Amino acid sequence: MTGTYAAATRQASARQGAAAPPVAPRSRRLRRQGRAGYLFLAPSLLFFMVFLILPSLFAIFLSLSQWGGYDLTQIKFIGVKNYRDILNLHSTFVSPILVNTLVFAALSVILAVVGSLVVAQCIERLRFQGFWRFLYFLPVVATVVAVGNVWKMMYQPSGLINGILNLLHVNSIGFLSDPHEALPSVAVVQAWASIGAAVLILTAGIKAIDRTIYEAAEIDGANSWRTFWGITLPLLRPSLLFVFITQCIAGMQSFALIIVMTKDGGPANATNVAAFEMYQQAFRFGAWGTASAMAMVLFVIIFIITLIQLWISRRAGDDD
Amino acid sequence: MARNRRSRTPWFSYSVVAIGGLLMALPFLDMLSSSFKGPGEYGILPYHFLPHHFTWSNYGAAFDQLQLGRLFLNSVIVTAAVTASVLVTSAMGGYALAKLRFRGRDVIFRFILATMMLPPFLLLIPDFIIMLNWPLAGGNNIIGQNGDGGMTTNIVSLMLPFLVSGFGIFLMRQFMIAVPEEMLEAARLDGAGEWRLFYNIILPQTGPVAITLGLITFVGQWNEYIWTSLIASTNPDLMTLPVGIQQLQSFIDPNRTTPIVMAGIIISILPVLITFLFLQRYYVRGVVLSGMK
Repeated sequence: MTGTYAAATRQASARQGAAAPPVAPRSRRLRRQGRAGYLFLAPSLLFFMVFLILPSLFAIFLSLSQWGGYDLTQIKFIGVKNYRDILNLHSTFVSPILVNTLVFAALSVILAVVGSLVVAQCIERLRFQGFWRFLYFLPVVATVVAVGNVWKMMYQPSGLINGILNLLHVNSIGFLSDPHEALPSVAVVQAWASIGAAVLILTAGIKAIDRTIYEAAEIDGANSWRTFWGITLPLLRPSLLFVFITQCIAGMQSFALIIVMTKDGGPANATNVAAFEMYQQAFRFGAWGTASAMAMVLFVIIFIITLIQLWISRRAGDDD
Repeated sequence: MARNRRSRTPWFSYSVVAIGGLLMALPFLDMLSSSFKGPGEYGILPYHFLPHHFTWSNYGAAFDQLQLGRLFLNSVIVTAAVTASVLVTSAMGGYALAKLRFRGRDVIFRFILATMMLPPFLLLIPDFIIMLNWPLAGGNNIIGQNGDGGMTTNIVSLMLPFLVSGFGIFLMRQFMIAVPEEMLEAARLDGAGEWRLFYNIILPQTGPVAITLGLITFVGQWNEYIWTSLIASTNPDLMTLPVGIQQLQSFIDPNRTTPIVMAGIIISILPVLITFLFLQRYYVRGVVLSGMK
């Protein structure tokens, strides 16, 4: 989109040069447009100033400070001590919390991407696509409170899933009470709730692939498995990358689901993730400086992982 | 599409999508049936899917115990205000970035794109502190001190951090850039001001994208949980539907309250579900657009 934008500005300046003679009215009109432009943008820019730039700077400053809350004059600048406290080998923030965050994100991303890819590939051949789409999209429009609570209910010993397991003569599983099961259990819900959006984007991507390529492959006698690996997957890479990156970012910063389903990141920190720990440190324990440092660390990690994904995909693109 | 490859019914695809669809629907069905289970029927072994004694009483209990009217009103006020504000500011900002030429436009556009990269959790803490220290609100003085809760005492605090959307401005700009320049130039030569152009020429054409953006904003705000729960923790009068329901869930004996919570959830997601059912294609378009970069 920056490409089209650059083209548009180039065009604009070219036209400006061509229409040289009536200089005075045009420049006056441009000046008027300039004033109007800033007026139209003023509410948004003011908003971003107060709710984006100011808080971002404040977050950076707070992460280098010690503060117990309330009185702003009590903020004490302490340099990188917060970072040193949370980023060492003995800190619970690194292990289990950051490890949990990565495991949670990886599990939910893999489940959501594989699931949505399979569904998008299949849905595209069916009738009643609107109905199926609606079904898969339901969780996306439901609040996290609904999603979290209904799954929490289904995970109970007396809930639906253990009911089915018992029917199959399998012992009940403590999905949310067993420290080994809790994190994967919540990751499944995260994937379940986000699969609908991924299906939509991938379906749109598949529809955009040129039909004649498939016809050519069919004439060559390729079966649908081969066309999927040989044509759909490579040509779908931009949509796939987008889904992958957005799901990854969402997975790493998600904590509403964890508040709703496990309340305190339990059992025994098993579902405690970085954004949730930040939330707890600030709003429950009043350690605002530590919490801000955690937010910064998580932000940097998300940023780096996104860059790595973009880099890998670009390299893979060059190899083709 | 199927006829391009195989003319017979794609049974495999049907079964995959149907099994997946069942997995998507099952939690909602379980929620629905639990909301009709009578007292003592939930939380017992063995699990049974359908209620033995069908009852509406959980819905009545949800209304009583949740102060559902109050929660509903808060949700409606906040969602309506945020949606209206996002639509207006996005249309204005999008117009400026798409159709007006001025110094710094490129920089501002890149800045708007960058705002979308900033994850919300990063601003949670500073935004909350800004609310507490908002000047001249909730007893604060002009430099935002000495008050009792500052802006967090006011329902406006639920809306403030969501009033402008970088994504909304971007979406509007992408849409408006397709409006033919000739239409605007002709009107400009006739001496129409930029506000007139915006109001009379651009706005009437933005219907579809406005519905898309409005719908995405409406759904997102109706479902917003983290920020609202923070504000409501200092002032319970400001609870919205998700926050109030979660509150009820976490208080009392779960076996007794879960069916009531399920009833509350169903009431709370109905407005979104109905809207989504009718305007599905607009929402879908928005999601797909966001995927096209």
